[in-house]
Amino acid sequence: MAVPDGRRSQLLRGVLDLCLLAVMGEGPAYGYEMTKRLRARGLSIVGEGSIYPLLGRLERDGLVETRREASNGGPPRKYYRLSPSGKRALDAGVDEWEATRDAIDGVLDLAKAEVAP
Amino acid sequence: MIEFVDECRREWRRLGVADPIANEMAADLTADLEEAEAEGGSAEDVLGSSLFDPPRFAADWADARGVTGTTKPVDPAAPPLRGRHGWYRPAAVVAVSTVGFLMALTAGAAVVARHSSAVAAPVRAILTVPGSTRLVGPFPFGLPGRYAVGAPFAVRGPGPVGMLVVALVFAGVVGLGVGVLSWWHWTRRGAGRRLS
Repeated sequence: MAVPDGRRSQLLRGVLDLCLLAVMGEGPAYGYEMTKRLRARGLSIVGEGSIYPLLGRLERDGLVETRREASNGGPPRKYYRLSPSGKRALDAGVDEWEATRDAIDGVLDLAKAEVAP
Repeated sequence: MIEFVDECRREWRRLGVADPIANEMAADLTADLEEAEAEGGSAEDVLGSSLFDPPRFAADWADARGVTGTTKPVDPAAPPLRGRHGWYRPAAVVAVSTVGFLMALTAGAAVVARHSSAVAAPVRAILTVPGSTRLVGPFPFGLPGRYAVGAPFAVRGPGPVGMLVVALVFAGVVGLGVGVLSWWHWTRRGAGRRLS
């Protein structure tokens, strides 16, 4: 059987962009702040790739808007927030995730029933 | 942490990322790493597994943002195009072609403008043998070979001006030919034996 961590990485790789868009929906955030928001919701990226390239792709695709501003008296940071097209992409992505998750749950529930003693 | 950011900067420089953009990315990265450290966290909290491969992380980030410069990595297995033929320079090709064309044009204009025996004589000297015969046609009665021609074609010897014009024409044609061949060969080989 495949190493569980490898599967987790593959699963996360498919939805991390949605997760970043979702935490941006709470308000503009810089890179590390988004990492902390994810961790607060039980999703740690330790052992996974960095979110910076993904943020770069979201920016290039026009799904996020950015601006530099001072952060809590510190140096200027790059803040990311959802763009209108990013909001639409997030809504569509959530629908797609829920449909896929329900379908997979349907299959795996069957396997769980077979495995259960 | 500093070493990580420095390695990223080196990679961005190698990829041709503009300095303002590289500075911005380095500043954001440094600020995030410092904040994580101040909160008792680690660089891995910020970077994940990318912590262990700074060049790959830097390249992925720059590529995702679309900020890499026009300089692309060169295939180290491919011999350098211009190093192997040092004389092979587009600028030199253009220069040779231009000079050759101008020389041929100047000489041609001189020939047309003068159109005198001082010019014609050296030209005929190339095509005739000394004396009053010439090697080739027109061929009377369809027969090739030597035959006598009249006095006007007698060769006295070309003057200095005429020789100069002939030399200019010859040099211009040769220069133009070299330029054209060089341009053809260079465009045929292609400008890029580089990784896409």
